[in-house]
Parts: sequence; structure tokens; C-alpha cells
Amino acid sequence: MTHRRWFTPWLLAGPALLWLAVFNLWPAVNTVILSFTNAKPLGGGQFTGLENYGRLLDDEQLADALLNSIVFMLVCLPLLTVLPLLLALLVQRKIPGITFFRTAFYTPVIASAVVVALIWGWVLDDRGLVNGMLQQSGLTDSPVSFLTDRWLLLFSAIALTVWKGLGYYMVIYLSALANVPRELHEAAAVDGASPLRRFWHVTLPGVRPTMMLISVLISVSALRVFSELYVLSHGQGGPGGRDMSVVMLIQMYSRGFNGHLGYASALSLMLFVITLGPMLLLMRLNRKAA
Amino acid sequence: MRRIWAALTTTALTAAALTGCGLGSGDSKNSDSVASAAATGEVKGKVSIQTWALKPKFTDYMQGVIDGFKKKYPGVEVDWLDQPGEGYSDKVLSQAAAGGLPDVVNLPPDFAFPLAKKDLLLDVAKADPKLADEYVAGGVEAYRYTGQNGTFGYPWYLNTDVNYWNSELLTNNGLDPKKLPASLDDLIAQARVMKEKSGGQTYLMSRKPGLGDLYNAGVKIMSDDGKSFTFNTPEAAALLDKYRDAFKEGLLPKDVLTNTYVGNSKLFNAGTAAWTTGGGNFITSLATDNPTLAPKMTSSPTMGVPPLYVQGLSIPKTTKNPAAAVALARWVTSPENQAAFSHLTSVFPSTKASANDPFFSKSDGSNSGDAKVVAFDSLAKAKLIQPVQVDDAMSTIINQQIALAISGDASSKQALDSAVEQCNKLLKG
Repeated sequence: MTHRRWFTPWLLAGPALLWLAVFNLWPAVNTVILSFTNAKPLGGGQFTGLENYGRLLDDEQLADALLNSIVFMLVCLPLLTVLPLLLALLVQRKIPGITFFRTAFYTPVIASAVVVALIWGWVLDDRGLVNGMLQQSGLTDSPVSFLTDRWLLLFSAIALTVWKGLGYYMVIYLSALANVPRELHEAAAVDGASPLRRFWHVTLPGVRPTMMLISVLISVSALRVFSELYVLSHGQGGPGGRDMSVVMLIQMYSRGFNGHLGYASALSLMLFVITLGPMLLLMRLNRKAA
Repeated sequence: MRRIWAALTTTALTAAALTGCGLGSGDSKNSDSVASAAATGEVKGKVSIQTWALKPKFTDYMQGVIDGFKKKYPGVEVDWLDQPGEGYSDKVLSQAAAGGLPDVVNLPPDFAFPLAKKDLLLDVAKADPKLADEYVAGGVEAYRYTGQNGTFGYPWYLNTDVNYWNSELLTNNGLDPKKLPASLDDLIAQARVMKEKSGGQTYLMSRKPGLGDLYNAGVKIMSDDGKSFTFNTPEAAALLDKYRDAFKEGLLPKDVLTNTYVGNSKLFNAGTAAWTTGGGNFITSLATDNPTLAPKMTSSPTMGVPPLYVQGLSIPKTTKNPAAAVALARWVTSPENQAAFSHLTSVFPSTKASANDPFFSKSDGSNSGDAKVVAFDSLAKAKLIQPVQVDDAMSTIINQQIALAISGDASSKQALDSAVEQCNKLLKG
């Protein structure tokens, strides 16, 4: 029998802990520190107390950005929670050729968000495919301002996000559906339950934990939306910058030689706190339902 | 428990040490000693130079320049790094933050400014007193900053903007390519004709105004001490009002609200807009993307004062070989080497000795040759219009507020006041 030294576990866990400390813990700690300074990328920076946090309160763009991020989350959350489940129910059946549809629905997931947003930008442009079709079919006289109207741009980005995310969440639901016991469906059918009632009373409770996980994932990623809005608005945040998301604001303030790291860090921490909200709420709802 | 405390203490100490890195200040060597070493030292040893997106198009040219330098100074070794066009500012920023800038770095004036402010760049005029005599004043001035003593780069190649017109679109829509607009009012009047004749399918105007347009309307962009922005004047508001009315009338495409400059050139390339601005070589580069459009283009000087675009070579104070770094920067920017470079592409040399080269002042009769001459003539009155203090965040804010004014969502005065207020906050922050 060999003698176990006290430091053996630390030695084994050491590299992973070091990695976590340098690439996760330290950046988080540094963000908190920087948020109380006026630091710039080239060093320097003095302690400025709560000045950056005070600035959050009278930043008009932040109010717009918060509203955009919240609307983005509130619309994406139900769509990306329910639609992929319905899609998964459709493609879970073992019928000839279904693999093609599964692959087709998953294809947008593997495409780069930037490339997809560029393509959507061309499609939704004033002189793009959609406007061309709408005008040629006589449905509209002039181009619809998908990319130059504040709300239409936001909803275009939401549509893109939903389209791109459907396949990803569909695959997660497929694995959850496979774990719902077949006997429960059979028993419900024998008892005369309609397909809708079986869905409501058997399928939904069976996939509820997955649904909660998906809801948390969606709310976090929706609040952190960046690429879709950035590319569709050519980095300008829509007309007058009114389509900026909070992450776009962070990017705007932090980049370049003169990046305002202090304020960008305060914005990051604010977003972190806001992101915790829906996460905790959904987890609480899940516990209650369970 | 003791072990846990030990681990936590180690983490905290590491964090504290790293905090020092995050908020530390740059290395500031004594400028005089480095300049003196540069002026009197022997040119030998290793020296590195970093250029911006010259490979692969100009690899042979640059290698020839380096070979010439090595021939002039036997025993010297040159390490040439070329960085891609995208993300260059981030690259330079990370090099500067890590103290790893090469001995000679291609930095435009707005990249050099924050480094000079941090005392990271050598005052090359101190190391090379002949600088101001040999390079054009506009180029040298571009590397002198309010509040900073010194000249922080050798001007390298210059460029400016030229107006480009799609003569076929003009003719087909009732406009005369020989009577091009000379003022904003002319432009709006001709844009109206184009809209009416084309049924709103093509545009003459397809970009929103920027700081350059405000400057040309007589607006002072920044205070003399460089400490505050001042472009929220009634003249600036009047200019934006004109654009707002033109936009409302449908003389500009809706894209102007969200597009950057690239959007304007894309519309021009696609034959949807009849006017754009670009450097002296725009026709040559367009010939690849749209060969049928290139022959239909004509050029004219920009309305008002043309903008001056400068590229230059700076030397970090941390260079270990100041003598070789200064000699290399001077060699690359010498009249002969600049002339050779300018003959390869339509940029213009920054040395006074190159001004009389007939290559720049005489056209070969082609429209690209004409554009080159227009650009060369414009350089004589070109000015660095956008203050170097304007950073990415400020540019975005100014663009956004101008878009708000043009769309009518805010009055021109409100938008300008907001832009100035936000930019001043950033300037002070």
C-alpha cells in the first residue's frame, strides 16, 4: 500500500486550476478592478470610485441598448424554446428520408454567425431579394426598411437568431425525447388520451428539465447578442445607434488605443448581474414545477 | 483548512501582481539619450521594421528597399514583418502594451498619437534635425500633436480624396459630366434631377456628411488646445438640415442612415450611385471589381479642402538599435524609394524632392491617369481634417448622431450637441 501525500490531489488538479485562475478567475477579478478606474489599454488609469457606475445611469444609449437586449431575449425565449421542440417532434419519427431534414435543419447551426448575418443583410437590403420579391409581387410599392428602421432591424436580427438556433436546440430536444419512456405514451393511448393530451401530459413533463436548460441558455445568449445586430447594422448599431445591444456598447467603448476600459468593465458587470436574473428565475420556476 | 488558505493566498497574490500589470504605465526612456544615440551611433546590428498590408502585392518592392539598405550598411540585418490589413490597430496595441514594438513601425498619425501621449515614441526630429527641411510640411505636421513636444514619425506616403463620377449614369439621367457640382447646393439640385429622371432608381448622393463636410462648411471641429470638441455650431446644424431635407425628399437612399463609407462605394460600384470619393488609385482598383464601370468614370477635385491621408514610420523609444532604426526609416522614406513606390501604385511621396516628378503632374490620357493628377494637385491644399483625438467610439457616436439628425428623429442641433457632449466625455475619460 502506497502512502498518499497531501499535495498529490493539488498536483493533479494544479494545471486545470491554474488555467481557470488565469483565464477565468483573473479576467473576472480584473474586470471588477478596472470598473473602478479610468484605465486605458496602454496602461495607467486611476481609481475613480463609483464614477463609471454613475455614468451608467445617464447614458442614453445604454437605456436603448438595455431595451433592445431585453426585447431580444423576451421574443427569442418563447420562440426558441417551443419551435425546436415542435421541430424535434416532427423529425424524431423514423420515416425514410428524415435524416435529410434533420441535417437541413441543423445546417445553419454550423455556419458562422457573421457569414449568415452578411447573407441575411444582402437578402433584407433595400435592393435585396426579399424587397425585390415584395415589390414585384405588388405587395409593397417601396422597399421595406428591414435594415434602416429601428424595430424592423431588431426583429430581423431576432428572426435570424431564431432561424440559426432552431437546429441546435432541436438536437438537444431530440435526445430528451428519446429518454421519455415509450410505455407512458402507450399507457396514455390505451387510456384514450388524444395526441394533444399525450403531448401535454407525457411529452412536456418528460422534457421539462431540458426545456429549462434551453431557456437558461437562450436567455443568457440573447442578452449577450452581438454578431447578428453588429453585422446587419454595419457596426453602426442601426439608425442613430438605437439598435445597439449592451455587448455592442461594451465593444464600442473598449476597442482601440484609447479604449475606455473602466466604463466598458462597468457595463460588463452590469450585464453580468442582469444575466443572472432570468437564470435564477428560471431555475426557481424549475424547482417549483419539479 | 490551512491548505485552502494557502491556495487562496497564492491566488490573491497572483491577482495582485497581475493587477499591477493591468494598471501599470509604459516604459518611458529618456528621449534625449535615445535621440542622441540615434544621431551619433553606428548603423549596424539587427533592426526590425513592421509594415501594414504590403505583402504580397509589394513584396518585391519592399524586399528591394531592404536589400538596398543592407548594401548601403554592410553587416546590418533587417527583420521585415508585414501585418495584415484587418486588425492592425489591435496588433500594434498589443505590441505596445507588451513592450514588443519593432524598431521601425508603420503608424498613421492617429495610431501614433496615443503612443506618443504615453511617451512610447521617439521624437525623430531630435534624432534627425533635417527632417522638416526634407519632408513636406503637411506630412511632418501630421506627426506633431497639440500638448506633445516633438515629431513622432517620418511621413511616408500620402494620399487624398478625389471625386469620382459615373459619367454614363449622369448622361442617362439628364446631367452633364462636364458641369459637375461644385458645392453642396449644386449637388442637391443635380441629385433632384437624377431622382426625377431615374424614377428614384439611382442616386447622386449616397453618403451622409462627416466631420470633413462640417470642416468645409467653416465649422471648427476642435478647440485649439485639443481638449474639447466644438462642432455643434449653427453652421453645422444648417448643413445637417440641408441633408435632412434632401433625405426626406428621397435624394439619398435609406442606407445612408446605417451605412459607413463602404456602403457608399458599394452603391457606386454597383451602378446605383453616380458619385463617390476615393484615393488617386480608385479607378485602377475598381477595374478588378467592375471592369465595365471603370472606363465610364471621370474624376474631379473634392468640394472644399481635400483631406490629407498620411502614412508614416515611427520609432519606439524602447528600440535597442536607435541608429539603425532612424537610418532605416529615413532610407525607406527617401525620395528615391518613395518615388519607386509611388510609380507602382497611386500614392504620393512625402519628400519635397519628389514634388517636381512629372510622373505625378502629367496624365497619360487615361481616366486613371487624370485621377492621379487631380489627386496630386489636390495634395497641395490638402489638410489633416479629422483630429487625431477622434477614436473609434467617437467616430461611431458622431455617425450615429448625424444619422439621427438626417432621419429627422432628432433636430440637427440636438444631435450635434449630443455628439459633442458624448465625445467630450470620452475625451476626458
